[in-house]
Amino acid sequence: MTDVTAVGPAGSEELEGTVFDIGYQSYAGPREGRSRARWAVYKDGLRSALGLGRGPRAKVIPWFFITILGVIGLVMALIAGAVNTYVGPNAAEVLDLPSHSDYYGIASIVFFVFAAVGGPEMLCPDRRDGVINLYLVRPLTGSDYISARWLAFFTVMLSVAWLPQLLLLAGLTLSDANPGDYLLENWLDIPRLLTAGLAMAAYTTSLALFSASFTTRRAYASVFLVGLFVITTPFTTGLASQLAEDYEGTAGAWVSMFNLSNIPVHVNDLIFGEVSLITSVAPAGEFSGWILIGWYLLWTLVPAGLLWMRYRKLTP
Amino acid sequence: MSALLIAENLTKHYDDDVALDDVSFDISDGITGVLGENGAGKSTAFKIFLGLLQPTSGSATILGENASESVAVRSKLGYMPEHDCLPSTVSAAEFLTHVAEVSGLPPTRARIRAADTLRHTGLFEERYRAMGGYSTGMKQRVKLAQALVHDPAIVFLDEPTAGLDPVGREEMLALVRKTHREFGISVLFSSHLMVDVERTCDRIIVLRGGRLVQSGDLEQFTKDAETVFIEVDDNRDRLVVALEKRGVLVTSDGHGLYIEGSDESVYDKVRSALVESEAPLRRMAPRRGELTELFRRDGEAGQRDREPDPRDGDADPGNGKAT
Repeated sequence: MTDVTAVGPAGSEELEGTVFDIGYQSYAGPREGRSRARWAVYKDGLRSALGLGRGPRAKVIPWFFITILGVIGLVMALIAGAVNTYVGPNAAEVLDLPSHSDYYGIASIVFFVFAAVGGPEMLCPDRRDGVINLYLVRPLTGSDYISARWLAFFTVMLSVAWLPQLLLLAGLTLSDANPGDYLLENWLDIPRLLTAGLAMAAYTTSLALFSASFTTRRAYASVFLVGLFVITTPFTTGLASQLAEDYEGTAGAWVSMFNLSNIPVHVNDLIFGEVSLITSVAPAGEFSGWILIGWYLLWTLVPAGLLWMRYRKLTP
Repeated sequence: MSALLIAENLTKHYDDDVALDDVSFDISDGITGVLGENGAGKSTAFKIFLGLLQPTSGSATILGENASESVAVRSKLGYMPEHDCLPSTVSAAEFLTHVAEVSGLPPTRARIRAADTLRHTGLFEERYRAMGGYSTGMKQRVKLAQALVHDPAIVFLDEPTAGLDPVGREEMLALVRKTHREFGISVLFSSHLMVDVERTCDRIIVLRGGRLVQSGDLEQFTKDAETVFIEVDDNRDRLVVALEKRGVLVTSDGHGLYIEGSDESVYDKVRSALVESEAPLRRMAPRRGELTELFRRDGEAGQRDREPDPRDGDADPGNGKAT
């Protein structure tokens, strides 16, 4: 028990109070079990990916990439707006300036590098610091944990994929002389850009987290992923072109399929019905849509499934 | 008193290695020490009860549920691992709030519980600092706090005094006692330091090479190791001879004589020996033995009785380590 005396303003009575230490109180409130546990891990994943509740250093990398991706969308919108204003209505479309269908192709490398840097943050520290042991002795299974983490990073990647596209849409709409007409004419771009964003986010999330599940060091996972996304591009592009020139058949196209940066962009092209800038020279574009979608699903679902299996084993 | 935790013929194999071999025991409310050297099977037993490992055979029941099948029961369990488990970039307050939510508490209540638990474990002032800057003692307190934050029915403490200096160790043992006596949470406390268990626990379980060696109330163990201490002014050697003639086992430490056992017959023999040796008695008192005494004797007897077993290691019970 502690006696506390508070002195009031001059002339007022002195107030006296007593603070009681009521000691340890047992918890008698609700226990919301697995659903609360999954939500907590999901929420923590979002905070980790964006550096929220962490020091300034943890915020630098995610917000740098988010800004870059936003700036790409904004610049595309500003250019289209300027062209429409100074050249004439619909000039951006007539001049075939980069638009929604091209955005993911243009921004894909930045998007992939962000996934490579942010994905390992979801899993590596928990295993390196041993926090995973504290999760798994609570009402949470290995499957719950990895599903929550996957969804958290997917949410971040989806937001990062959609935000610049929505900026671009706003820019294109507002720069048009008749914004209402623009939206009516181009409304299909909205479900297309949302679906293409989903495809980009699911692919990068699965590959990034699957690679991160093999190491406790974020740097190793990030370097491996950057290598995977960035280095496969010049390597496969050169080899695929050479094979396509030297041999008949689909050998060059198949090599081109291993350009990991292009896999979701081919799906983006199918969704928009146009070939984007970076896939226009890829021999893999010769394949039918079903093969391209199947290949995308293989590279998205298999890593996600293997990742789930790895973590499922952590609890009996 | 109903058992909180029951092991029935619990066996765990890792390929050819036997971590637990047909172990059965039950634990009720209180502080129970699990003693054993490294590799005795303490951590394996903990992990089975926490649902992290599936037993090869046998069953582990905790709070009436099968430990490896019920996920829900884990919201009533707490675990303080031996090794590091704290993220360095997060504050203790934030981390505890998060793990309380993972234990199923709603966010507002989790925040209140986190602050309360940090106050009870002596970290209230430091709660907003990133844990990377904490001392070993502070980290151990956070580890304990995260195990208690959701008010479990039973908490598993794996070597809670590991790496602590003598003062930190005292404080941690006091917190462990407080956990049961003030917070009402049952404690399962593993250690290879007998003295920690002796000063903290109500009951003990001793594992050696994956097998159960002893289990029961600590008081009974120390009573078994009770001796009678005698100090005389003169004729000490004659008294020793008189005692030995009566079949009494006597040891000496230079100041006095220690006689094993403390029942009525021992006192009768001492009285007769004192009369016969004409040794003037200065002091005679029963003295409760330490666990180390008991296990030293058991260890010596065991060493004579059994073949050498490489899994027994080279722990020295004389240094306060379990055999």
